[in-house]
Amino acid sequence: MSIYKLFYFNLRARAEISRLIFAAAGQKFQDVRYERNEWLSHKNEMPLGQVPVLEFNGTKLPQSLSIARFLAKQFQLAGRDNFEQAKVDAVIDTINDAMMIFMPIRRQEDEMKKKELMKKFFADQLPKHLKNLETLGKLYGDGGPFFVGNHLTWADLYFYDILETLLYANENCLNNYAWLKQNRVEVEKQPKVAEYLKNRPKSTM
Amino acid sequence: MSIYKLYYFNNRGRGEVCRLIFAAAGQIYEDIRYEDDQWLLHKDKILLGQMPVLEYNDIKLPQSRAIARFLAKQFQLAGKNDIEQAKVDAVVDTIEDLIEKLIPVFDEQNDVKREELSKKFFNEELPKHLQNLDVLLKVFGNGGSFFVGNHLTWADLYFYNFFETILGINENCLNNYPSLKQNRQEVEKQPKIAEYLQNRPKTSI
Repeated sequence: MSIYKLFYFNLRARAEISRLIFAAAGQKFQDVRYERNEWLSHKNEMPLGQVPVLEFNGTKLPQSLSIARFLAKQFQLAGRDNFEQAKVDAVIDTINDAMMIFMPIRRQEDEMKKKELMKKFFADQLPKHLKNLETLGKLYGDGGPFFVGNHLTWADLYFYDILETLLYANENCLNNYAWLKQNRVEVEKQPKVAEYLKNRPKSTM
Repeated sequence: MSIYKLYYFNNRGRGEVCRLIFAAAGQIYEDIRYEDDQWLLHKDKILLGQMPVLEYNDIKLPQSRAIARFLAKQFQLAGKNDIEQAKVDAVVDTIEDLIEKLIPVFDEQNDVKREELSKKFFNEELPKHLQNLDVLLKVFGNGGSFFVGNHLTWADLYFYNFFETILGINENCLNNYPSLKQNRQEVEKQPKIAEYLQNRPKTSI
């Protein structure tokens, strides 16, 4: 029986970063995926009535990024000392800032309004965050292709996953960002990650 | 010359949790505060054009929660091991979920619309998140008054600071949550924090 149990929907969304961390670490875990109709009967089992939740040694932990950071630390993918971990966290937060703008737009029900907001997102808002991410990668990356310290961390995995979602919405959004494009290529080349990407369930979000 | 330099506006906002951590730890640092007009002069030179920024041993770090978590780890206020740190992070993320619901209320220019959004915040979002925070305190608090592990962590400071703002708008909002009220009282009683609270600049946000 696995000491790690991850509960989420049958989607990438807020759990995929944790699944990518497990994959990169070669760590077995129970990947519990609820379909929408199943979820209602399990909602009360979760501390805050939401998922993802990680169950570890009898503790149920909510909040996707807290879960991911914990797992990354367990498997040496969080950064090698307090300050490196802080640089990784800063990259994560910068990626997340972009996602926090995108998600309400994606949920917009008025098609005309959604189209307009998406245009603005990809033309104005996202470029600002991508530029910031390149700045951080060049400042913290020690000359290598990874965001921090010239080795893979969960910051690279999170960027990989979030951009997968954004590229589905606009396949050209990374065209002007060679460093960021190369970073994703390096993530895909990691053998355990490559194998996981080949075999996992496909979802656009 | 301080090895720690914090750059932020002259208010609490997203910088204050760092100042509270320095205070709780009794750590000296350079507390650089920009008024709005000074900020306009410095914005282009500061990393990512946003604040807070921490300068540590001449290296710059953006993103308020990444900074706060780093400082908390430096001064043993982050949690005693990986899983405790994850619980602390989960509490912070839950508070942050609530902060994100308040930001659109503050940003709304139209008075009528802002009143409507404010009502929704206080009647719906706030109780939901307070309920969640109450659950986490009971599940992670080991029977004590602090959010995690029966000792002060930056989760308590994060809660303390944000609720200072909320209580300034609605002084009764914690009346139905005695554990959360008690938590803030415990924070205020810590001697180094009490002293800091007495002497710091007063601001409404």
